[in-house]
Amino acid sequence: MSEWCNMLPQEWYKYVNQEVKVTTRDKQQHEGWVFTVDPVSASVVLVTFLEKGGAFVMVVLGHAVRDVQILRGGDDEIASRLRSLFMPAGCQAFTS
Amino acid sequence: TTISASTGSETDAGNTEEEQRLRSELRERFLRNLIAMTGKQVQFKLYEKVQVQAKFGASDIDILNFQVSDLQTPLGVQKEALLRCQDMISFSFDL
Repeated sequence: MSEWCNMLPQEWYKYVNQEVKVTTRDKQQHEGWVFTVDPVSASVVLVTFLEKGGAFVMVVLGHAVRDVQILRGGDDEIASRLRSLFMPAGCQAFTS
Repeated sequence: TTISASTGSETDAGNTEEEQRLRSELRERFLRNLIAMTGKQVQFKLYEKVQVQAKFGASDIDILNFQVSDLQTPLGVQKEALLRCQDMISFSFDL
């Protein structure tokens, strides 16, 4: 997926809040919920929620992405859990 | 910074505005991720199966270099270091 780095923001945005499987150039696979794709480096931020609370965050650099496959769509609850992990509390009302 | 321009096909003004809005939201989220990572122990996976760990300090705006502290390498601990992002496959941390 060499064109991953050259995709448009609206194409990357489709992956936000979705559960995906990212395959890297060294043929490793990582699964998680997409918090964002950096439009500058095309890096994917994957979040795995831990049972004990908190989360594990894995960022795959854009140049190392070979393929991204959507496994499952996220709902509003996932979207707000992702947001509350990273956003300061006062910001939440302003992001739709 | 070098924010890459949209690729050709999008000439419609409405589309461009929407594109900028999405780009800024994606970017803000990524910057929030970097803020969350500041001061944390981060595992870096580099090419050629090298794994190192360090305390993340800062990134430049183009995501070309990361400044880290106490970089634990197979050859010992480096007090301060810059990691080139082009050498990395991925990095991870607990939040």
